[in-house]
Amino acid sequence: MEAASARMAARDRYGQFGEPPTSQLQRFILNACDPQNFEPNLALNLEISDLINAKKGSAPREAAVSIVHYINHRNPNVSLLALNVRPNPSPPQASNSPHLQLLDICVKNCGYPFHLQISTKEFLNELVRRFPERPPVHSTRVQQRILELIEEWRQTICQTSRHKEDLGFIRDMHRLLSFKGYVFPQIRKEDAAVLNPSDNLRSAEEMEEEEREAQSAKLQELIRRGGPQDLQEANKLMKVMAGYDTRNKTDWRAKAAEEVSRIQQKARILEEMLEGYKQGDHMKEGDVFEELASALQSAQPKIQRMCEEESEDHEAVAKLFEINDSIHRTTERYKLFKKGDIEGANKIPKGTLGRSGAGVTKGPDNTLNLIDFGDPEPATQTAGSNAGGPAQPAQSAPKGNALEDDLLGLSLGGSTYGQTGGISLGGSNGSVLGLSGVAVPQAKTQQSSIPQSTLDLFGASNAPVPQITSPSIPAYSQPAPRPSARSTPDPFASLASSTPRQGSPFQFQQSIKSQPSGTVDLLGVGAPAPSSNLAQSSASAANDDDEWTFASAVPDTSKELTVTNTSINVVFNVSRESNDVLLIKSRVSNNTTLPISDLTFQLAASKGCQLQLEPQTGVYLTPNQQNGITQVIRIKGVERGQGNNVKMRWKASYFLSGVKKDEMGEISNLGVS
Amino acid sequence: MGGQISKMMNRIFGSKEMRLLMLGLDAAGKTTILYKLKLDQDVTTIPTVGFNVETVTYKNTKFNVWDVGGQDKIRPLWRHYFSGMLGQHDSVPGTQGLIFVIDSNDRDRMDEARTELTRIIQDREMKDALLLVFANKQDLAGAMRPNEVSEKLKLSSIAKDHVWKVEPSCATTGEGIFEGLAWLSNNVKVPPTK
Repeated sequence: MEAASARMAARDRYGQFGEPPTSQLQRFILNACDPQNFEPNLALNLEISDLINAKKGSAPREAAVSIVHYINHRNPNVSLLALNVRPNPSPPQASNSPHLQLLDICVKNCGYPFHLQISTKEFLNELVRRFPERPPVHSTRVQQRILELIEEWRQTICQTSRHKEDLGFIRDMHRLLSFKGYVFPQIRKEDAAVLNPSDNLRSAEEMEEEEREAQSAKLQELIRRGGPQDLQEANKLMKVMAGYDTRNKTDWRAKAAEEVSRIQQKARILEEMLEGYKQGDHMKEGDVFEELASALQSAQPKIQRMCEEESEDHEAVAKLFEINDSIHRTTERYKLFKKGDIEGANKIPKGTLGRSGAGVTKGPDNTLNLIDFGDPEPATQTAGSNAGGPAQPAQSAPKGNALEDDLLGLSLGGSTYGQTGGISLGGSNGSVLGLSGVAVPQAKTQQSSIPQSTLDLFGASNAPVPQITSPSIPAYSQPAPRPSARSTPDPFASLASSTPRQGSPFQFQQSIKSQPSGTVDLLGVGAPAPSSNLAQSSASAANDDDEWTFASAVPDTSKELTVTNTSINVVFNVSRESNDVLLIKSRVSNNTTLPISDLTFQLAASKGCQLQLEPQTGVYLTPNQQNGITQVIRIKGVERGQGNNVKMRWKASYFLSGVKKDEMGEISNLGVS
Repeated sequence: MGGQISKMMNRIFGSKEMRLLMLGLDAAGKTTILYKLKLDQDVTTIPTVGFNVETVTYKNTKFNVWDVGGQDKIRPLWRHYFSGMLGQHDSVPGTQGLIFVIDSNDRDRMDEARTELTRIIQDREMKDALLLVFANKQDLAGAMRPNEVSEKLKLSSIAKDHVWKVEPSCATTGEGIFEGLAWLSNNVKVPPTK
């Protein structure tokens, strides 16, 4: 008996293993599955997966074919080794412990090219070849393990992979097995989570590379299968890969920008949490603080790399540096907090994104908050620290950015500036960084195709600081209608905005007195008007009486538009003043029986038009006061007939009996063409 | 069962199957050669974006010929076809035959052709492949002769580990093409049938 089993073993060893392995990969797999192993050789398994990744090409298939061959080996030890479970577990605990596995390791480490292989019909059929028609009463460990793997794949890559449509056979196999009565073991999601796409920050180039590799693997597989349909698909895929078919091309820079904004979000959350951190609080290992901080730390080198990759786009680089800087400060603060050195931490300016422009130059007094921008105090403070502000930006703004404006539809002094509430910051920002809050990789196309998708923001100081007028128009792209384009302008715009994913253009201040002509001039230059508009706007700067004003054949009608009706009621009376100017008379009423104070109302309009806001008649509304505040607003650069294309966003902030309220919204149609 | 019988017949009668990959710079005449082989017709082609594949039987050998576009944008994708030749028979390593087509009248791009050929022929997956170079467009006056082509391509150095031959050809008339196939068929090592 013993002799027989020894012979059997020998045959297993030399019979089925007899076929000489032809490649290094096959040799490695043979060694990993050698029945003389008493437990999986993790190092070798990892080496195998590395080899597959390095060789690419047909290596994933080669490996999948030979691994599945060993899984079906008659010696269960070999199968388990192929599956990479310890063949002789010391019961009882070890049998439950989730061992890493050769197949498992390859699936988890070799990415899509290997996923594609395990989702082929041949592979899956081969994998379950030893399964009886009906589930046995006591299934073997090999079967259990296989079921576990299929379940794991179904719950991870089949749902979360970018290419899940290519993995359909795994789902089919799962369905087939359940239909036959096989019960899948419960899997622990955390164990399998590694199969899900990582949420690490990736640069445009990395993502593109990943996609190229996936396409490459798919092309290879299609050619190998060689069926008529496969070949047809291969031909199509080749056109895409060779760049002839760009219809579905992904904008990787837009994607990268999206990823950056995700990191920003994390930084913001951490900063907020740190703000709420008090003496005596404890940070534990593995808490949310640590999680966020480590995500930020791991993102930093990536951002630096992105800076290198984007070196041609100075705006983007500067913006990325700014983000990096801000993240750095946030993590530094976190470290000091963690040590308990709250004072030290507070010395570091907060890293909240979008403030950094001020933070860099101003240091610790950078406590301005975007949300407070309606608040007179910080504005005064900033203004005070920037004496001579108005003059500076007037020079620096157009100089630094006029060119890019023309090209990219960007304007200087964007978000960072508007947010800090001080005018000169915008200017200095512009001159230091050479960019505004916006770097819009796609701006060119966007501008030409959808000029109304971007906003001109009108920056001016707040009411209580009348000496300041705003010379700058921070203009940046509003999320464009196309989803792919949407993300591109976003992250940069979102640096400044309090709601990062929104790219909301509300960081501007209301003007308190009508603009001197010099200011408007600057607007004309700084504003990224579409070319047709540009000449006109600069020419007509500060001069509403365009000599080309013709009386329209159609009498201009005015229209009433209720902007909001909550505690306050804001009504716009919109009419056409001249051929390219829309006139809005806004009336604000108090709907409550409580007094309203410090009311500021801010507006932004689509790019291509300029907003001119005359000062509000007041900031205070007595209870139930009707039309207590009025304001005259002009939108310039709106040609007759274009009025319906003008989109506006507004934000109102006020104190309702001492409680701060913010409202915002969008006006999609002014109702006057 | 049927497959086994036909395999056996093949062994007896020496019928074999060969997978060939046809590459070369753009406008060398690959697609024209392919359809000359397949249809024995002179077809008008447009630049191939992607690939064509046809099966041609000649002298007891079934040739599976893959013609992949030669434009520079497509060249990086060539490598997918090296091992794609594995087909269902995983025991067949790499591609068995490479046909590299040269426009014999395009002297300016011989260096470019050599660079591309070197890259292909030195790939791991191509190590066992026979190399047939078609010195195409021999009908044009001033076309390079085969020995000039092999010299310019430096075949004796870049393809020193391969069995190679330069065959003068003219795709439009079919001259030399079948001779080339015959050479491939005679020199291929029959993979050990299982």
